[in-house]
Amino acid sequence: MKKAIKAAFFGLISIAFVGSATADITFVSWGGAYTASQQKAYIDTYSKGSSITVENYNGGLGEIKAQVEAGNVTWDVVDVLPDQAITGCDEGLFVKVDQSEFINDMVVPPVSDCVVPQIFWAYTAFYDKAAFPGKKPKNIKDFFDVKKFPGKRGIHTWANALIEMALVADGVKASKVYEVMSTPEGIDRAFAKLDTIKDHVVFWSAGSKPLELVSSGEVVMALAYNGRIGAAILSEGKNFEYIWDATVLEQEYLVAIKGGNEKEALEFMAHASTAESNAEQAKYIPYGPMRKSSINIIKKGEPWFITSSGNIDILPHMPTTPKVLKRAVIGDPVWWADNGAEVHERFGAWKGS
Amino acid sequence: MNQTQTSTGPILTTDGIPLKVSLKKAERINKIRAFLLVLPLLAFILITFLVPIGDMLARSVDDRQINTVFPKTFEVYKKWDRQGLPSEEVYKTMFFELKNSEGYSVGKASTRMNYSKSGWKSLLKKSKRKFKKIEEGPFKEQMIAIDKKWADPEYWLALGQMVDPTTMGYYLNAVDLKYDSSKNIVQQKENRRIYNKTWIKTFKVSLLVTLFCLLLGYPISYLLATLPMKYSNLLMICVLLPFWTSLLVRTVAWMVMLQQKGVLNNLLVMSNLIADENRFQLMYNQTAVVIVMTQILLPFMVLPLYSVMKTISPTYMRAALNLGASPMHAFYKIYMPNSVPGVSAGCLLVFIIAIGYYITPELVGGKDGQMVGNWIAYHLKTTLNWGLCASLGAILLAMMTVLYWAYNKIVGIENIKLG
Repeated sequence: MKKAIKAAFFGLISIAFVGSATADITFVSWGGAYTASQQKAYIDTYSKGSSITVENYNGGLGEIKAQVEAGNVTWDVVDVLPDQAITGCDEGLFVKVDQSEFINDMVVPPVSDCVVPQIFWAYTAFYDKAAFPGKKPKNIKDFFDVKKFPGKRGIHTWANALIEMALVADGVKASKVYEVMSTPEGIDRAFAKLDTIKDHVVFWSAGSKPLELVSSGEVVMALAYNGRIGAAILSEGKNFEYIWDATVLEQEYLVAIKGGNEKEALEFMAHASTAESNAEQAKYIPYGPMRKSSINIIKKGEPWFITSSGNIDILPHMPTTPKVLKRAVIGDPVWWADNGAEVHERFGAWKGS
Repeated sequence: MNQTQTSTGPILTTDGIPLKVSLKKAERINKIRAFLLVLPLLAFILITFLVPIGDMLARSVDDRQINTVFPKTFEVYKKWDRQGLPSEEVYKTMFFELKNSEGYSVGKASTRMNYSKSGWKSLLKKSKRKFKKIEEGPFKEQMIAIDKKWADPEYWLALGQMVDPTTMGYYLNAVDLKYDSSKNIVQQKENRRIYNKTWIKTFKVSLLVTLFCLLLGYPISYLLATLPMKYSNLLMICVLLPFWTSLLVRTVAWMVMLQQKGVLNNLLVMSNLIADENRFQLMYNQTAVVIVMTQILLPFMVLPLYSVMKTISPTYMRAALNLGASPMHAFYKIYMPNSVPGVSAGCLLVFIIAIGYYITPELVGGKDGQMVGNWIAYHLKTTLNWGLCASLGAILLAMMTVLYWAYNKIVGIENIKLG
């Protein structure tokens, strides 16, 4: 009996040692269909020895900063927004990465030295076809025109993308948006445009909410993450239609946290950011890859998106096709890193007044 | 004989030590033992409660993020008369300190500088990259050539707020004030005045929630305390069941109930009580926050009320009625005063929980239901302005302390009863 206990004890210890020889990685992302696509595209296929635990978070650098400052880093790889990628890299929360493998293959250059490419996602307006039996909204001007298309609009509770869209709806060219936003009058102009729909908006803060709002008829149009709209159309058979105008494209990156299992994290990130991995992810969620060669892989492989009833063409649902890009605003994380706090406070004052 | 002799000297124990000393020793051992028993709890409170609060208070006034990065610049900056643009000397010192800075100090400093004037962040980053090519002066023109923000006095003036290693700036920010470049206190720009409104709103919502909880909770608790056991147990389960249900589930359930195309509005329209286009806006605003928080916090009112009411002997009421008081009068004179400890415990508990609430306002608050907790979360996660978070938190803490103190003066804290 004693022997058995002893054997079990040493067995456990040796397991513990084997475990720590190839450190495990904690991969932190946003949850839902998005994390599921990452899981299928490159976590399940990862075979370098590190086992990967997946956790969810709600964005922001708060937790990461707390972990690094306390010297107790439990997250290794985190999926972050571009302005956070900039701030975190500047403040030394992230590990610098060798970007030579992908630097010439990017749709836009990476925002900082600490990132590997993930996806483009977009804020897009959409509606339920059933809500407009006659004339249908075609552009962002229609979204801001409550006379032509009466009914409530669902918008998010923060200022990003709303300022850009409001300006385009007010007649600013998509490519000139950040130029206008860099002047105080530009911001005033955006808020004046937002004023015109103020009494007709319902605010959302969770990504699934706008879809519910439109489905239930609570609003007639809403802004949402394009991947969520795509998933609702492709997997749930919803009768939604995109308004591909003034779509605001946002970048999404992976970073390794300083003080975590850096070596293993970087190895995993190299695997997760190959052109194949980036393309593979689009089989499960309609976000746009950031690598040019991934888009070619998808083009050749169409129908690419996997559903239970066979494959479907994914490119019409992607925010990075030339047709969409022509009328899109590419989100400028540097502008938002500079002005985000001030504009957000002003947006808060606007909401509450 | 012996007895009388020893009675004048100290009383001794059998081992010849004076009884007093021996007793003291025994007591000391007991005291140490008792102290050791509470030591884990004491350490726990110290580490998980007092240290973080201390750290928070320190953060709310700490402003060393940039003083340590640009010390010389600030030395020469102090001599500047704040008219027009600073002299070449200021530019030159800034240039070298930025160019020669190492590691992540500039990143952290630029985050801090960006709180005072949006734009510093990218300015410093871009400049540091381009400064590498510049070897000699004059620096002013070259810096302005790199980015014309260097020629904007507003950026330089904003530095004036940060000359000291400690600051009240975060506290000012939390009440819509700020320092100007000469450290005079002035009002925040009009379209950024958001916190005072939020404070008032937070107070208003918390007070309303407390009031509604009391109005709803008092009769329930009364029933719970006076009904026969078999009914009161059932009622108790009705109170506790939601209490045990996840907060999120309850919040989302309210969304389904109250939204414009939700259960309540649909019923009203179906029964022709309101017209289809006049549906009530009960969700995504302050009303929703008050309704949902009242439901969520109700058990915190009912439980202390119940435990106090349970101890009020029914004979008091019977005696009062017997002596000729009307039922209303007896209730007012006898029952209510006896239940005050429970009322105050419940109100204090509900108010304290409500004032720091975050998740419910976030989900159902919509355009005007955001409370202070939501702004703390925003700055904690998105802008990393932890100084502002700390000052908002410290103000909340101070408010609670004042409230507690006032309560203690008026009602007396010993009158609180949780059971």
